[in-house]
Amino acid sequence: MTRVRVTAPQSAARLAPTRPYHSREAAEDSDVGQVFVRSLIRSQLRLAVVVASGFLLVLAAYGLMVALVPDLAQMRILGIPVNWIILGVALYPVIGLSAWLYNRSAARNEARYRDLVEEK
Amino acid sequence: MNPAVGLAAFLGVALATAAIGFYGLRISRTTGDFYVASRTVRPWWNASAIGGEYLSAASFLGVAGLILLTGTDALWFPVGYTAGYLMLLLFVAAPLRRSGAYTIPDFTEARLQSKAVRRVTSLVVVAVGWLYIVPQLHGAGLTIRISTGLPSWVGSIAVIVVVCLTVVAGGMRSITFVQAFQYWLKLTALAVPVVFLLMHQADAGMPALADASSNPTGLPAAGLYQTVSLLVALLFGTLGLPHVLVRFYTNPDGQSARRTTLIVLGLLSVFYLFPTASGLLGRVFAPELARNGQPDALVLLLPGKLLGGVPGDLLSALVVAGAFAAFLSTTSGLVVSLAGVISQDLLGGSVRGFRVAALLAAVVPLSFSFTTDSTALAGSVGLVFAFTASTICPVLLLGIWWRGLSDTGAIAGMLTGAVLCGGALVASTFMGSSVAPGWLAQPAAWTVPAAFGVMILVSRATKHRIPGTVTRLMTRLHVPERPLASERPLATKRQLR
Repeated sequence: MTRVRVTAPQSAARLAPTRPYHSREAAEDSDVGQVFVRSLIRSQLRLAVVVASGFLLVLAAYGLMVALVPDLAQMRILGIPVNWIILGVALYPVIGLSAWLYNRSAARNEARYRDLVEEK
Repeated sequence: MNPAVGLAAFLGVALATAAIGFYGLRISRTTGDFYVASRTVRPWWNASAIGGEYLSAASFLGVAGLILLTGTDALWFPVGYTAGYLMLLLFVAAPLRRSGAYTIPDFTEARLQSKAVRRVTSLVVVAVGWLYIVPQLHGAGLTIRISTGLPSWVGSIAVIVVVCLTVVAGGMRSITFVQAFQYWLKLTALAVPVVFLLMHQADAGMPALADASSNPTGLPAAGLYQTVSLLVALLFGTLGLPHVLVRFYTNPDGQSARRTTLIVLGLLSVFYLFPTASGLLGRVFAPELARNGQPDALVLLLPGKLLGGVPGDLLSALVVAGAFAAFLSTTSGLVVSLAGVISQDLLGGSVRGFRVAALLAAVVPLSFSFTTDSTALAGSVGLVFAFTASTICPVLLLGIWWRGLSDTGAIAGMLTGAVLCGGALVASTFMGSSVAPGWLAQPAAWTVPAAFGVMILVSRATKHRIPGTVTRLMTRLHVPERPLASERPLATKRQLR
């Protein structure tokens, strides 16, 4: 088994947030460790780019719709023009949903990395 | 509007701010206390504080005013302000928290191991902060003039005095609570009048919103380039704002930084429904405000105009209070982060230095605000976003995600962005908004790629200057913290072994 650090519970709790890295630094400095780190960074970046592009595509689709359907400004729901509803209300849940999906997947990437490192 | 109402509202907010600030000061004495206490700040508090600091004069007054002026074109502003936080979440939030940096210059210095990079970043951060404070002071001037009839400068000076007093006395210790309180105050101050007005109008029979689609001043609709460039500025400008990073430091780890950002997105989304509704109401009931050149006063004047009497006065007082909360919270957040940068880099980092720096950080934009004219608040804040997107955003994004960034590249890119974007903004200001071509008035669409391009090319050419610590730093930025005992059963097991 790996090394055990014996500390008083109080001081361990105090140090935990500032020193989470040192215990694993040895593993992460090794070549194999770096392969895992690089693949973690790549998958997080890919995830961020995918979510960002998805959101930008939604914006582009709205722009296209405005350009292709000029009558949109005349359509109304409850007396409010449809393009006001899309831009002023409906886009916000899309932003929130993208953020929520990203948070879930990013946490999953990190959990996968942890499993890889700790199983060694 | 009744002048006593406006004054009472301002005094109330100033006193509440000071009271919460001093209360926080009394429960935390040392810097260490502050840091430890701040780590126990719950995500909801923290998110409210971030929202409170972020929602500035531009959001509170400017968005509704711009919607009154330009309709759906202006709806892109709140969307961009909110989606900017999405970009911050995707690319910056967790790694920046894990870097342990307290300010942006701290981060660039640690990442690139270079004092020169630190100095350039500090200069840019101070410029951004000053530019961002000026519209807040214009907003304060406008609010004091509309609500009490006093000259504008009274409002600007009042805000600076209150901010200096709280910052110099309390430092950054108590600010989380102040900011969190101010988010909820701002939300209430916009939401209650809007709901009242909508109910009132529904009783009175809502007139058709037919003329809501044409602009009251006959302004032409924005072109595709303007909209795209604005979105580039807002999406990429948010993640470089100096007062935003400090708030992320109060999260215990990267994961909770992400959770906090998600809550912030929710808070912003709810908030922006109300300026949008105010703007729409304004287009129906108060289009003359756009024609006589004070669209930014819409939010302040709407309750009195539609209701009148005592209910109108009460709602007006609430709105004035919310507006001052907006100026105070954003300005104090900026002054604190600027004072941190100025005192560390110029004055040697003592407490006395921090106080001098805070005065410096507040008084310089005050003098700017006297020499410049208030234009549309949302617009002038949008230009600050363009500047951050062209300077700080590239160095943060490349620093976090690209091992190949060198200090020379970072400096060259930031200077390119600052010169191009700053030059374009100065040139279009001098030419006047009616003469300046669109690509000068809204430069982000070309200055941001230019800054990125220069940063990448120069880094490629100076590969030997990439610091040897890059591997360790990238590991630190992206590897998850070991879960705390309370979070995962696995960790408890390991501690027992």
